[in-house]
Amino acid sequence: MSVYVQGIIFLSCINLIAVLGLSLLTGFTGSFNFGQAGFLAIGAYVSTIMTMKLHAPFAVALASGMLASGGVSFLLGFPTLRLKGDYFAIATLGFAEAVRLLVENLEKVTGGSRGIVAIPTKTSLTTLVPLTLALVWLMRNYIGSRHGRSCVAVREDEVAAQAIAVPVFRYKQISFFVNGLLAGLAGGFLAHYVGFIQPSMFGIQKSTELIVMVIFGGMHSVTGAVVSAVILTSLPEILRAAAAWRLVMYGAAVVFIMVVRPEGLLGSWELTFQSLRNLGTGSARLARDLYSRVVHGHA
Amino acid sequence: MIWQEIINGISIGGVYALIAVGYSLVYSVLNFSNFAHGEVLMLGAYVGFYALTALHAPFWLALGLAVVLGGVIAMALEKIGYRPLRLRKAPTLYFMISAMGLSIFLQNFTLVTIGPNFRTYPEVFSFAPLEFGTLSIGSLDVIIFVTTAFCLGLLTWFIYKTRLGVAVQAAAYNMRVASLMGINQDLVVSIVFFMAGASAGIAGVMFGMKYTVYPWMGALTIKAFIAAVVGGLGSLPGAVLGALLLGITETFAAAFVSSAFRDLFSFALMIVIIILRPGGLMGVLAKEKA
Amino acid sequence: MDMLSIDNLCKNFGGVKAVDSFRCAVAEDRIHAIIGPNGAGKTTIFNLITGIYEPDQGSIQFDGTEITGLQPHQIAHRGIARTFQNIRLFPEFSVLENIQTAGHLRANYSVFEGFVPSPRRLRQERAIREHAMDLARMVGLADRAGEMARNLPYGHQRRLEIARALALDPKLLLLDEPAAGMNPDETQKLIEFIQEIKERFHLTILLIEHHMEVVMELCDHITVIDFGKVIASGPPAQIQNDPLVIEAYLGVGA
Repeated sequence: MSVYVQGIIFLSCINLIAVLGLSLLTGFTGSFNFGQAGFLAIGAYVSTIMTMKLHAPFAVALASGMLASGGVSFLLGFPTLRLKGDYFAIATLGFAEAVRLLVENLEKVTGGSRGIVAIPTKTSLTTLVPLTLALVWLMRNYIGSRHGRSCVAVREDEVAAQAIAVPVFRYKQISFFVNGLLAGLAGGFLAHYVGFIQPSMFGIQKSTELIVMVIFGGMHSVTGAVVSAVILTSLPEILRAAAAWRLVMYGAAVVFIMVVRPEGLLGSWELTFQSLRNLGTGSARLARDLYSRVVHGHA
Repeated sequence: MIWQEIINGISIGGVYALIAVGYSLVYSVLNFSNFAHGEVLMLGAYVGFYALTALHAPFWLALGLAVVLGGVIAMALEKIGYRPLRLRKAPTLYFMISAMGLSIFLQNFTLVTIGPNFRTYPEVFSFAPLEFGTLSIGSLDVIIFVTTAFCLGLLTWFIYKTRLGVAVQAAAYNMRVASLMGINQDLVVSIVFFMAGASAGIAGVMFGMKYTVYPWMGALTIKAFIAAVVGGLGSLPGAVLGALLLGITETFAAAFVSSAFRDLFSFALMIVIIILRPGGLMGVLAKEKA
Repeated sequence: MDMLSIDNLCKNFGGVKAVDSFRCAVAEDRIHAIIGPNGAGKTTIFNLITGIYEPDQGSIQFDGTEITGLQPHQIAHRGIARTFQNIRLFPEFSVLENIQTAGHLRANYSVFEGFVPSPRRLRQERAIREHAMDLARMVGLADRAGEMARNLPYGHQRRLEIARALALDPKLLLLDEPAAGMNPDETQKLIEFIQEIKERFHLTILLIEHHMEVVMELCDHITVIDFGKVIASGPPAQIQNDPLVIEAYLGVGA
C-alpha cells in the first residue's frame, strides 16, 4: 500500500474519532459545538508533553490527553451547558480561542506560536484502525440504547424530554464529556502522526472542517459520520490543486445541505444487517418492476 | 488618563453598537444568531475601500454604496440560506449551521478572489483632533461617533415612527400572529435584513477607516454577539448599551492588563452577565412557552 | 387520600398575576377538570405542577410529598405525566421510538452498558420495546409503528402523545386540551378512551378542556378559574348552575 493511501487512512481515522464525539454532541444531542479544535489541542499538547518531557509510554500519554480534554469539558459544561443553543456555540468558540491564546502565550511549556517539533511518530495503523472501528461500534451501541434515545429526545424537544423524565443536563454533560475524551484521543494520535503541532493547526478552520463532516453525514447516523469523515478527508488530498477553493466549496456545500437535505448524506440510515437486507429486497423489487414495465407495459 | 480610555472605549463601542443592533434586529424577528452578519460588514468595508480608491468616489458616495450593497447582500443571504429553512420551520440549529456555511463561503471567496492582503483606507478626514483639556478625540473618532449616532437615530425613527417599522415590531413580538393580521412575513423579514445589512455596511466602512480591511474581519461579529447578549438579545437599546460597555471594558483591559488577552475579557464579560442576569442588562427573558 | 393537593399557588409574570392563590385537591382515582376562559392561567398551572415554572408562593403536594421546586424530570420520575396543548412529539423519531423514549424508567442499565451491551441491557430493551408496542396497539397506531412522528395526521399525533405519557407508568396524568380540534365523533371516542385508560392503568386524571361535553361527561369534579383565580369548585351539576361561572364563561354549550 502506497504511503499516499496510508496517509489518507491515518488522517481519516484521526478525523473520524473527533467526528464521532462531535456527532454525539452536536448531531445526536443537539448542542452546537463550534470549538472542537480546542479539545483536540488539549489532547495533542498534553500527550506530547507526556511523551517528550516525561518519557511516558504512548498509551499513557494518549490516556492523559483524553482525560485532560475530558476533564476540561466536564468543568466547562457547568457554566455553559445550561445556555441556549446560540450562547453555547459562542461559548465553545470562545473556549477554543482561549485555548489557542493560552498555548501561544505559555511559550516555555508549549513552544508558543512556533509549536513543538520532532514529536516521535508513534501512531501506527495496526493500533489506529482497529481502535477506530471499535469506537464506531461503541458509539453505534450507545445511540441505539435508551441513553442514545434520551440524547435525541433532548435534541428534538427539551421541554418534552423533561416531561418524560429525561434529565436533560445530565445527558448533555455525558455527551460533552465523551466528546472531550474522543477529541483528546484524536489530538494525541494527530500529534504523534504528523510529528509537530502548532496553535494554528487548532483554529476555527479545524473546528469548521469537523463540523462540516458531521453535517454532511453524521447528524442522524453514525454510519454517515464514518462515510463523510472518509470522503471529506480523502477529497482534499485528491483535489490538492484546488486547495484554495476548498473552504469556499465547504461553505457552499454546508448551505446547500441545510437547504436541500439537512439530514445529510444518509439521513437516519444506519448500516445494519437488516438495512442491507432491505437494500437487497428493495433493489430486487425495483428490478422486477422495471422488467415488468418494459416487457409487459405495466407494473 | 482614565477618561481618555473611556473615550476610546466609547468610540469603538459605537462601531460595535452598529453591528450589534443589526444582529439584535435579526434575532428579535427570527430568533436565531446570524453568524454571517460579520461577512456583510467585511463586504461593506471592501465596497467602501474600492469606491474610494478605484472609483475615486467622494466619501458620501462610498458610504452610500456600502450601505445599499450591504443591505442588498444581506437580503440575498436571507433568501438563499434562511428563507427555505424558515418556510420549512426548521429547528434553530439548522439556521445556525447555514449561517456558518454562508460565513465560511463569503470569507474564503473574498480571500481567494481579492487576496489576503490588508488594505488601508485612504485618509478621508484630516482635521485636527478636538481637544478638551488633557483629553483629545481624533477627527476620525468624531466622524465615527456622529455617523453611528445618526444611523441609530434613523433606525429608531424608522422602527418606532413609521408604519413599516410598527410591522417589524409586531413581527418581532410574534411572527405568526403578525402574519395572521395581514403583515407580509417575507416582506418584513427582507426589510429587517436590509436594515441589518445596511448598518453592517456602515460599520464596515467605519471599522475599515479606523483600522484595516481584511477578509476575515467578519470575526468582529463575535463582539457584536457579545454586546447584544450583554445588553439583552432582542433589545435594541440593550444592544447599544452592551456595545458601549463592551468597548469600554475591552479598552480598559487592553490598556491596563494585556492586549493579548483582550478578547478573553470580552468573553469573560459575556459569561459573567449570562450567569448573573441571563436576560441581559435590558433584555426581556422570554421563557419558552410550554 | 388526595393524589394532588395544591394550596395558595401564585405566579407573576412581570407584574401580571397569571395565577393567584389557586387551590385545588384532586382525589385519587378521580377525573378532575380545570376550566376557564382563554388566558385564565390553566396551562400555567400545569407548568407549575410539572416544574417548568417555579411558583412565587404556595405549595404543591403529590401523593403525600411536597414537589414544589423540584425539576421537571424529577417530577415526571415520581409519576406525573402530561400532554401539551401544542403537541410536543419528537419529530425525527418514529411512532414506536417516541413511546420507547419514555419507557426508559422501566430500565436501569448504565451508561457503560450503553456503550458495551450486556445481557441485562438486551433483556430490558426487549421489555421496553414490547411495552411500547402494547401501548401503540392500544391507541391504534400499531400498524404505523415505524412511521415518522412528523408525518402523522393531527389526531394520530394526539394519540401518540398520550401513549408516550402512559409509557411512564404514571399515577397522575395531566391532559392539556386533549379534545382540541376534534369533531363530535372523535370527541366521543376520546371520552371512551380516557375512561378506558383510567380503569386499565388506575390513573388519576387532571384535564384542561374547552369541550363542555367532555368535561361534563367525564369529570367527577371541576375547578373553574378566571384571571388566575378560582371562582368555583364542585361537581359538574353544581358548576353548570353556578351564576358566577355562567357569567364568566359558560354560555357556550352546557
